Amino acid sequence: MLTRLSDINRLFNAMDFFRNRLDSLYSDADWAPGLRWSVEDRFPKTNLYEDGDLFEIRAELPGIGKEDLNVKIQGNYLEISGTKKSASPEKYAIHRTERDITSFTRSFTLPADVDSEKVKATLENGILSLTLPKSEAAKPKQITIA
Amino acid sequence: MNHKTDIVKAGEKNIEKTRTLETVLPPVDIYESEEEILLFADMPGVLKEDVKVNIDNGTLSLSGIRNLQPRGAARWEEFGDVEYRRNFSVPQTINVEKVYAELKDGVLKLHLPKSEAAKPRLIQINAA
Repeated sequence: MLTRLSDINRLFNAMDFFRNRLDSLYSDADWAPGLRWSVEDRFPKTNLYEDGDLFEIRAELPGIGKEDLNVKIQGNYLEISGTKKSASPEKYAIHRTERDITSFTRSFTLPADVDSEKVKATLENGILSLTLPKSEAAKPKQITIA
Repeated sequence: MNHKTDIVKAGEKNIEKTRTLETVLPPVDIYESEEEILLFADMPGVLKEDVKVNIDNGTLSLSGIRNLQPRGAARWEEFGDVEYRRNFSVPQTINVEKVYAELKDGVLKLHLPKSEAAKPRLIQINAA
């Protein structure tokens, strides 16, 4: 079975290799970043960090104000959604529009339950940071040896 | 395929290896009116002091370095420290002296005003 899996991995590696090669054909030309051989992602990129008894989620949300963002938490389920108002200024001719994400929703299952009362959210320089303290049951515990 | 193979391994040449930042193209919107060209570029997480806008010899180059300073251990990481970099050619009609930029919510907004000579003018017709 292990050999079968490694065959599949090799196949995917080969596919990645060809995709990267095809992408590199574009790197010389001034193509839009969205036009690639890979599937385009229409949701914000996120990072999840774990630091002792809290999690931190960061999401790339350029150009979105805090009034256009929604964050929902229930147990270990987290949902971030938002809409971007059309930034296109009036009386301007359009040459290029590459940053055209208008609305998105992304949901996560966190590795442990979090205390939804103590969650803190900040939006700075287009990056949303959510500090999510783990719930009491999920916190690491020191065990004293009797 | 321009696949180059070095005779000497790269590891032997770089005695002190420095961490290189990945360079990415920021997505941009470009608009034009009679007065100016307006450019928006997405650079989430880049601080004001790390953005460089340079116009030299008809080439506009944008550069922004993102330093995220992560905390704890990463469970997953879809974005990291990068350098946003992109070049554009700027028409001669832009008044380079008056170009100004704003950075808000991770979006760089660049105003490129046109010079007086390039603005459209309404010509008065005099009755003969």
